[in-house]
Amino acid sequence: MSTRQTIRLTVNGKAYEREVEPRLTLADFIRHELHLGGTHVGCEHGICGACTILIDGSSARACLTLAVQADGASITTVEGLRKRETGQLHPIQQAFVDAHGLQCGFCTPGFIMTTLELLGENPNPTDDEIKEALGGNLCRCTGYQSILDSVRLAASRINTASAA
Amino acid sequence: MAIDIPTRTDQLPTSATRFIGKAVNRIEDPALVSGTVEFIDNLSLPGMLHCAILRSPHPHARITGIDVSAALELPGVEAVLTGEDVERWCDPCFTAPEGWGNYCLAVGKVRFVGEPVVAVAATSRYIAEDALELIQVEYELLAPVANPDEAMAPGAPLVFESRGTNVIQSRTYTWGEVDRVFAEADRIVTRQFRWNRVGANPTETFGCICQWDLADNSLTCRGAYQTPRFMGIGRAASLRLPANKVKIISHAQGGGFGGKGGPRGTDIAALLSRKSDGRPVKYIEDRMEYLLAGGGQSWDRYYDASLALKADGTVTGFKVRLVDDQGAGAEGYGTISAAKPLAAFTGNYRIEAAFYDLTLVATNRAPTYPYRGYGPPPHNLVLESLMDVAARELTLDPAELRRRNYIRPEQFPYTVPSGNEYDSGNYAAVLDRVLELADYKGLREAQTKARAEGRLVGIGVVSTVEPGVFDWNAYATVGVPGVGVPEGVKVAVDVFGSVTVAVGFNLQGQGQFTIAAQVVADYLGVDMNTVKVTTASTDVALPHFGQGGSRLGVAVTGAILGACEKLRQTFCRVVAHVMQTEPEQIELLDGRLQMKGAPSHGMSIAEVAGLMLSRSDLLPLGVEPCPEATFVWVSPNRNQPDDQGRCRSYLTAAAATHVVQVEIDRDTGQVKILGYYIVDDCGTRLNPANVEGQLQGGVAQGVGAALYEEYVYDPQCQPLVSTFVDYLMPTIHEVPMTVKDHIVTPSPIAPLGAKGCGEGAIHTTPAALLCAINDALAPLGLECRETPASPRRLWQLLHDKA
Ligand code: FES
Ligand code: FES
Repeated sequence: MSTRQTIRLTVNGKAYEREVEPRLTLADFIRHELHLGGTHVGCEHGICGACTILIDGSSARACLTLAVQADGASITTVEGLRKRETGQLHPIQQAFVDAHGLQCGFCTPGFIMTTLELLGENPNPTDDEIKEALGGNLCRCTGYQSILDSVRLAASRINTASAA
Repeated sequence: MAIDIPTRTDQLPTSATRFIGKAVNRIEDPALVSGTVEFIDNLSLPGMLHCAILRSPHPHARITGIDVSAALELPGVEAVLTGEDVERWCDPCFTAPEGWGNYCLAVGKVRFVGEPVVAVAATSRYIAEDALELIQVEYELLAPVANPDEAMAPGAPLVFESRGTNVIQSRTYTWGEVDRVFAEADRIVTRQFRWNRVGANPTETFGCICQWDLADNSLTCRGAYQTPRFMGIGRAASLRLPANKVKIISHAQGGGFGGKGGPRGTDIAALLSRKSDGRPVKYIEDRMEYLLAGGGQSWDRYYDASLALKADGTVTGFKVRLVDDQGAGAEGYGTISAAKPLAAFTGNYRIEAAFYDLTLVATNRAPTYPYRGYGPPPHNLVLESLMDVAARELTLDPAELRRRNYIRPEQFPYTVPSGNEYDSGNYAAVLDRVLELADYKGLREAQTKARAEGRLVGIGVVSTVEPGVFDWNAYATVGVPGVGVPEGVKVAVDVFGSVTVAVGFNLQGQGQFTIAAQVVADYLGVDMNTVKVTTASTDVALPHFGQGGSRLGVAVTGAILGACEKLRQTFCRVVAHVMQTEPEQIELLDGRLQMKGAPSHGMSIAEVAGLMLSRSDLLPLGVEPCPEATFVWVSPNRNQPDDQGRCRSYLTAAAATHVVQVEIDRDTGQVKILGYYIVDDCGTRLNPANVEGQLQGGVAQGVGAALYEEYVYDPQCQPLVSTFVDYLMPTIHEVPMTVKDHIVTPSPIAPLGAKGCGEGAIHTTPAALLCAINDALAPLGLECRETPASPRRLWQLLHDKA
């Protein structure tokens, strides 16, 4: 096949150097080369949002990005959120648990990463702003109501914590 | 030993339930939000190959030649599978009715676009897909059968030549004196409806890893399997293996809703493993494959239906003629969808007679599969729409018409004309509560005002019954044999007192692991977060079915209660022996086996288990050193159907009424949901958060089916939908945030009084929305009788009128 290219990138704070085919998607790279399986793939054509990750702090679809495009980037996936060793959940993850914001959980990493971006930019979003942010993520199980509740809960907890 | 399953929570051996009935957090969630759950595509096995499938671009064609030589030469390709292999090694899949199944890869001809024709196993999916491009297939095109009219026309091309017809099944059912009630009716309302194809579309598509052991001639399949044992038996049949040589390991699934599919993908991966000398082969269906030809197409229906009424609004008869386009055969058990309405044919109402004329037809569309609800969503849409038409003609309020016809609380258990017995209910109380919640009077006043302003505002008030806890007997009429759907668990206490529950299914989203932990923890007096729930593979699991037919929450509860009861009996014998008394003198309460009347004399569960495993000298005669128990639960008191399909099928009958207010935009045809209110009654709510999640998720799918989703085919039977750009899944913007409340009428016969509750909302939402839309259109004299009521369809309706 095509010539392989070397890419260097940081994923969840860890530096990697790998040789990849130019056509390898970033989703496949993260999932199958780095074995970070939490970035799920639901459509591979950019609609469902299950593969949402942060590239240099901005949400992106790993299924529509090539691994070579991430050369030099800093990436965060859902695995980067909970505390290492203790496994303590990030407040957003905990809010999804507490507000029953998931059923099968396949879409959930995508929603959590989108929420992470949203609350980073807008710690106190209105419902409309939450819906606007999550409008590109599909969930077939929950009907979104508990997801909306989860994001509200996460925002309020994060705000309370930072006010304290 | 008689095992009584408690039907009330106050029968549990606990002074107060600590987990059952509470919206406790789910034990499955910490791993799911961490992204560490092993969905099948997260797993790799040493030496594993990857499968890609070349699919038919034609709806109906003879295969005249296949050339795979170039693909075989591509470095990395290990095996190529064609119809020749499949014909040599396999049988067509089992179907109900029999004889309408395909092979996993096309043999001789293709019957729908997307049908697998050639499959490749290679060292990566990328290479496998490259190889597909090197394969040449020659086709001789055949005339497609695009719809039931074409299929039933004399001289129509045949989808399955050997059958001699495209009609899979055609028969009528008469329940009660239908002719008389229609002859005596003061009013008859009749309408035709068209429900277009929709489907499950779980966010995770199907996937599996199959490994054929050539020495043992056995097969191990890991994958996103909803019903592991059923899947194993099917694979044994299609791959000609003894059933004990097929082992299914079910992984967590990213949703299912009945429409996960999987048999074809599993058989193909299994045969590729066989062809590549036993290397494991992974097949991950992609979304385009799923949309074209996966398990995600359901309910392609043409209805002609009538209601007979008395002048006072009493509904006396209901006739339904259904022609159901099953697509290319019955491989997906889509036929069952047409049989299931028998379980609640006449809904919430005292309708004395009913008639069903059912025709299942094969066409060159993709085969249909189950989807959540499994048939009642379109059926209820027909019944409830006719109720609204009748209300308009009689100038009765639609809520009032329904109320007049409800089965009354004192009439339960109530046998409906189509045979099933409803266990309990209080439909008027549900209606009262939802009308209050929605401020129905206020909604009507607002509607009057809006109409005066020329706005198209409508209200739907729709009641449904959700048959819960399915039984095979409900589907006997389309050729499914058997009575009873066993669900088995093992409850084990270890030497330190920790409790493990082994079940036959894996996670799919409904939270049954949590239900299992809640029930066992309350029964045995342990903390639910210390309970481990684990999935047994089919080689060691007890008989089970898994998710399906709104049954698993109830069934697993029953199984766990049974196993716990057996444990309790054994523990009582052991403790009685140690205390030198009779077992009847010992009781279990809050996790302690204690002397009745002298509770300070006793032992904890952990002490008893430890003693049983480490002090055989203290065991009474005949008690094994095994603080474990199994129990296989099955719905009590089910029976065989009569020749009209009548039987006690689904165990429970939950009920709900939805009230929805919509506005149609005249310029775009877009429906906006202004308010959505739900009151439901599914008996005891084992975990109220789970129930609400099931309701809301069902609403979302109902919104999709009623307003947006549709598998569109062109007149030549070419699918026009192959991505989520064309198949419109509802997002957070389309799904209403609903206002919910509930009442509780426990089931008198189901474990802890809980009723099946996974499908009620999708049973109700499409009907509620269509009724609201038609209420909005009523002043214009228009009716929409086709789903989805998409902007295009409604705009056309409004525009053609102008
Ligand atoms: S998998 Fe990337 S958007 Fe669906
Ligand atoms: S929780 Fe299943 S898709 Fe969202």
